[in-house]
Amino acid sequence: MLTRRYFLRASAIAMAGVGTAPRWLARVAAQGEHRRKILIVIFQRGAADGLNVVVPFFEPRYYSVRPTIAVPLPGKPNGALDLDGRFGLHPSLQALKPFWDSGQLALVDAVGSPDPSRSHFDAQDYMESGTPGRISGDGWLNRALPTVARDTSPVRAIAIGAKMPRTLSGNGGAVAIADLQQFQVRNQDSAGILESLYATTADAQLMAQGKRTFDAVKMIAAINRQPYTPNAGVQYVGEFGNALRQIARLIKADVGVEAAFADILGWDHHTNEAPQLSGLLQQFGTALAAFARDMGDRMEDIVLVTMSEFGRTVQEDGNAGTDHGHGNVMMVLGGSVRGGHVYGRWPGLEPEQLFERRDLAVTTDFRSVLGELVRGHLGQPIDPVFPGFTPSEPLGLLRT
Amino acid sequence: MEEQERGPRLIAVGAVLLLAALPVSGRSAGRFDQKLPVDRQIVHALNRLTFGPRAGDVAEIRRLGLDKWIDLQLHPYQLPESSVLTDRLKTFTTIELPTWQILKQYPPAPAVFMLRPPSATAMQALSPLQRLKLTSGSADERRATLTAMDPETRRLVLAGAFPQMLDGLPEDLQQEAAKQRQAEQEGLQKERQRMTPPLTELLSPDEIRTARTGTREEKLGLIHSFEGDKRQQILRALGVQTFNDVPALRREASAAIQPQQFVHNELIENKLYRAIYSNRQLEEILVDFWMNHFSVFDGKGSVRVLLTSYERDAIRPHVFGHFRDLLLATARHPAMLFYLDNWQSQVLRDDLPFQLPAGAQRPGLNENYGRELLELHTLGVDGGYTQQDVVAVARAFSGWTIYDLNAYAEFQFNPAGHDRKEKTLLGHTLAAGRGEQDGLDVIDVLAHHPSTAAFISRKLAQRFVADDPPKSLVDRMAVTFTKTDGDLRAVLQTLFASTEFLSEGAWQAKLKSPLEMVVSSVRAVNADVEDTFALAQRVADLGEPLYGKVEPNGYPNTGDAWTNTAGILGRINFGAALTAGQVPGVKVNLSRFNFKDAATVAGEVLGVRPSPTTLTAIETGLQDKEASPSILTALVVGSPEFQRR
Repeated sequence: MLTRRYFLRASAIAMAGVGTAPRWLARVAAQGEHRRKILIVIFQRGAADGLNVVVPFFEPRYYSVRPTIAVPLPGKPNGALDLDGRFGLHPSLQALKPFWDSGQLALVDAVGSPDPSRSHFDAQDYMESGTPGRISGDGWLNRALPTVARDTSPVRAIAIGAKMPRTLSGNGGAVAIADLQQFQVRNQDSAGILESLYATTADAQLMAQGKRTFDAVKMIAAINRQPYTPNAGVQYVGEFGNALRQIARLIKADVGVEAAFADILGWDHHTNEAPQLSGLLQQFGTALAAFARDMGDRMEDIVLVTMSEFGRTVQEDGNAGTDHGHGNVMMVLGGSVRGGHVYGRWPGLEPEQLFERRDLAVTTDFRSVLGELVRGHLGQPIDPVFPGFTPSEPLGLLRT
Repeated sequence: MEEQERGPRLIAVGAVLLLAALPVSGRSAGRFDQKLPVDRQIVHALNRLTFGPRAGDVAEIRRLGLDKWIDLQLHPYQLPESSVLTDRLKTFTTIELPTWQILKQYPPAPAVFMLRPPSATAMQALSPLQRLKLTSGSADERRATLTAMDPETRRLVLAGAFPQMLDGLPEDLQQEAAKQRQAEQEGLQKERQRMTPPLTELLSPDEIRTARTGTREEKLGLIHSFEGDKRQQILRALGVQTFNDVPALRREASAAIQPQQFVHNELIENKLYRAIYSNRQLEEILVDFWMNHFSVFDGKGSVRVLLTSYERDAIRPHVFGHFRDLLLATARHPAMLFYLDNWQSQVLRDDLPFQLPAGAQRPGLNENYGRELLELHTLGVDGGYTQQDVVAVARAFSGWTIYDLNAYAEFQFNPAGHDRKEKTLLGHTLAAGRGEQDGLDVIDVLAHHPSTAAFISRKLAQRFVADDPPKSLVDRMAVTFTKTDGDLRAVLQTLFASTEFLSEGAWQAKLKSPLEMVVSSVRAVNADVEDTFALAQRVADLGEPLYGKVEPNGYPNTGDAWTNTAGILGRINFGAALTAGQVPGVKVNLSRFNFKDAATVAGEVLGVRPSPTTLTAIETGLQDKEASPSILTALVVGSPEFQRR
């Protein structure tokens, strides 16, 4: 449990690096008791094959059209992990099974975008903009955050990576951090001078942005000075694991993180899918599980959601792979999630039930899922986040 | 300036903050009717008409006379081109190629990995009846069909048989199918390996080590010891990243592995060299401006390989010409036709057989280009057009398409896809049945519309004067635009001759874009650039991947888009890396700054005496310590003052 003493100790570390405590840190300290809610968004770029991630093993057609790459029935060698008698998890996601069992992992199936595009970059842009069919100037998660005030933490929204993802782009003050260790002024001796240059400039905008920049740099430097030890038994492996590790570190430093983003590439399996997907899911699942175990009790205040721009064809192609599809799977992980359930209406795999007679249909709009999290977890209105979208009946992903 | 307290930096900063009476709401801007003092006019002109002043530029313009210099920049053919630039451009092989040659010599990455299984080919070759029996027939029918085939065909079909086909068949056929499937997979695997042999088969462990970690000379020696196919295979197996430190090999690997990206990289590098070295700076500024105005995205399909021609043939020739010609050139160019989907915009005609251009997927009218033509290219969003006008424009351009996208990618008018009915837009009626002339007339109407004159004039004034340019200036420019039939040189002359251009209000009013920041720093420190690849990456990291804006509105002409935490930190760190000689391909010699004080160095880098706040912060921070030229220049390049132009 987040005790006041734990919090003050952690923020003392942050304060030491910053000098006189800035107003946003004072506000964070005050809110410590109220436990800030955090939303973490994970984007699987390249169109992950949802049908092999959450396996509809009860459908005979799944096996007839995927003779080479279908995940075998539960109980068979390399078989799916039975979830509810109808759906199973790809065996490489073994690490996530305990979270399903304990009710912290929910799965949404046949979910996606109403826009029919099968272009990676178009569909990613639409999904990250939160406006299917067009690209917005900023990202949906940016719009889901309260406006930046003078006392807003400079790292309230972080994206792990070199470039700002569309999801968080906008004027919400998000920061792209490729590596915590490298998020600093290259020449340490000059840092103070540069800071005063920006603090005294006649340019009001550069002054304000400069201040946020240097606050973030000093804060992260202070965090970097404390070596990070994850919870007992937790190990982060691989590039994606490292991204989650950095998010975990920042959250535990109690510096006001409200939203975080990371992506994982490599899902575009047109050929030879089975071994590649297996390896990637292994990485994916163990990293997510490590994060959840590292956060421990704090998962009560955290919701992590995964998404991909579209799914893949129901039928395998001639190269033991799949082509671009439509409906896909989203995962929702967190202490306040009503897990252990596959949400969404399953449309079936018969040819006439498929989208354009080739892909899994979409029966739940991805904005319904994200909207519930924005409203129910972050407590923000969804109209500005998903303009023009009216959600259908609620899925009930969160415990009230 | 106020007394500063010496002491701990934080207190000093706080004191300055308290004592300095700086306006919180905005920069205190001068007025647009107050002319700048003469010594500032020259630097200002350099900041606006070039990518940044270099050492010696101010003196040269003072000698020549500012008006004369501006006139030369407006008539660049009178300026000899920089010999450094000509030399650097020699390395490029694709910049001057016509599109069809680019397409021929640099195809999309070879489909080495998309091997078609023989079983799939065999299935396709069966008769429809055979296929029907095999997929939906009874077990007896399926068995009969299979046994009736010749052994070779049966073998292949069994290799690709799916469970439903084999269900209920005799055991021997089932086993045969399993065996053939296995054999086929193994055969495909072998073929893949033959086409792309693993590195360990091509090179010895020592050679692999040299390739990955050797010096530039060693890497060059190794690769040059191979020729032809083997060399290509080795480059493919090693990957482009292995040669990031040897530009020549990086280019060769890129051309072998990702030919179309190679072509695009040359375009990007070409742009940076020109921005850094060209004597015809205003022309480069304008090419950048108009490429951005008629923006296309390099990540959309074929656009990548069409960009070389787009910039060279549709944009550059017209930047000092008439707007109508520029507009028409972009409307007809395959890059724009593809990017905004007009090449697929077709209308069914009842009197001709309906034909789709190869590769087009959705027949029907596409309004994308029509809308952006009005909203972004000509009238502007408030220019006074309606949705009906958008549709009329789209109909006028229906049939404007691309001939043979993959081999030639040239403009083609397809009468079969053109809507020949009468159209009305913006008060003009286009009679029925005039084919391609419809589009040409729309170009004329839009180019001569008063809203276009105002919209274009304002955008130019934004680029050259201030984010919110004075209306009086924009109005005068629009008058010139209209009177001269859209002569862009004349409009610029009105702009540069105006009081507003050389006014206090314009002084340092613009924030540098990432491209401008990077290039101006390189120019300010007089760096010697031999490879622009790393610089291009830096510009992209700061938020402006060249040719990489997804949306058709292009990168913003105003500064607020560029000020964010990562942008500021990125600029500061770029400056530090540049002056420390840590940017690959960029050599910096700062010895001329040896033993000079902060004020002198800052003055030379900025081109003008630094502001008191800048000097104070630097001198206070250094506290009489000696700072190397590298540290000093890094501070100036990273300072807020350097971010302005």
